[in-house]
Amino acid sequence: MTREGSVRFYSSTPIEDIEAVNGQVTGLITDEGEFAFRVPILAFRFEKALMEEHFNENYLESTMYPNGSFEGRIADWNQGLKDGMWHDVTATGTLNIHGVEQPRTIPSKLKWSDDAWAIESNFQIAPADHNISIPKLVRNKIAETLDVSIQAILNPR
Amino acid sequence: MIRLSSFPLTSLVLPILFFCCFWGDAQKVSSQSLLDELGQEELMVRPVSSTFKDTRIINVQSNETPGANVLHFVIAHRFGQINEGAYALWGLDNASMRMAFDYGITDRLCFGIARSTYQKTFEGSLKWRALRQNTDNSIPFSITLYSVSMANGLRWSDPNRENNFRHRLSYTHQAIITKKWGQKLSLALIPSITHRNLVESLSDSHDQWTLGGGGRYKVSNRASINLEYHYLLAGLPDASVNSLSIGMDIETGGHVFQLHMTNSQGMFERAFLTETNGTWKDGAVFFGFNLSRVFDF
Repeated sequence: MTREGSVRFYSSTPIEDIEAVNGQVTGLITDEGEFAFRVPILAFRFEKALMEEHFNENYLESTMYPNGSFEGRIADWNQGLKDGMWHDVTATGTLNIHGVEQPRTIPSKLKWSDDAWAIESNFQIAPADHNISIPKLVRNKIAETLDVSIQAILNPR
Repeated sequence: MIRLSSFPLTSLVLPILFFCCFWGDAQKVSSQSLLDELGQEELMVRPVSSTFKDTRIINVQSNETPGANVLHFVIAHRFGQINEGAYALWGLDNASMRMAFDYGITDRLCFGIARSTYQKTFEGSLKWRALRQNTDNSIPFSITLYSVSMANGLRWSDPNRENNFRHRLSYTHQAIITKKWGQKLSLALIPSITHRNLVESLSDSHDQWTLGGGGRYKVSNRASINLEYHYLLAGLPDASVNSLSIGMDIETGGHVFQLHMTNSQGMFERAFLTETNGTWKDGAVFFGFNLSRVFDF
């Protein structure tokens, strides 16, 4: 289980920058390199109250789809990763956001320290890939791809 | 005096039924495989958001307030009666206007000031979300309290009378009880009391009681159909009729457009609750809109 995990995303356009942080990520990783993350959508915090409301009501529809998740395995898994150094690995799995699943291969960094895995990853998500439509009127305020970063410390199962 | 004996029960039952008949809720959660091992999903318990799109349903206040440090600006118009016909372009030649600024002190408390051209009225108001419906329905509905003081700015109709400032004032206090069912449907029950310091004649009551029902149904993520009705309970002038409005909310980022037809011309509480005299069946109704914009500080 996660001891601590957070995910943030960033949308940058010339008109408006939008950033949200979520400190309630849970996740686990098995000895075989399989992993699962879950992100409660309602736990994203924005700078402006109205952004948060629109995010939940209009875009992510978080009452209908309360969680985002990423589940899969570390493609290049081996016990040698446990040497206490950072390693670049590839996480392959299914990213589920807004009820729409996408197969994703996401480069990540992994480090065994003490008795837990530290994991870091930066990647991009396109709202359109998850059936999140952005009306024309606000299209210049919301980026077509969002930069996402995740950091977590996971206990091995 | 409050007289509760003479009103027809059927008209009162309508707004209550409107509110009560949808009680109850259901939620489902699904999860799979390795995700299951993350343990029982703890659905976050939060106040329900967006029961209504804006701080008003149509004329009447909704349960919503601007967030903390948010300035909410509304400019609203009611055009003339549509039965004025082609000569007045079905009312569009005449408009009355209301401008309002509401500021959120906290996420639950706001104050507002407003000015209407109708009777040159100033308003000062306080609005407080006393109770907020929760996502897990441990609190099954919201209660918001709203108080507004209205000052009539017209010249005195009889300058020879003893005229004091307090005679310009009237007040409305209301409880806005709302519930949101799922994503689309929200309903409101709104009892109000209006007090005016000055009445037309000795036989007129200073206190007027009304019971309102309102609701919205989302037809898309950014648009909803809204309905609002106020039943006159007691203490009202004979010429007053029940206020009925139907409208549509369209949200575009930081703006909300509300377009509606209503038989009330005034846009502050005393006017639309107690002084409505347009009748729908004669076409004595007004087209209007509210346009809101938020500013963050």
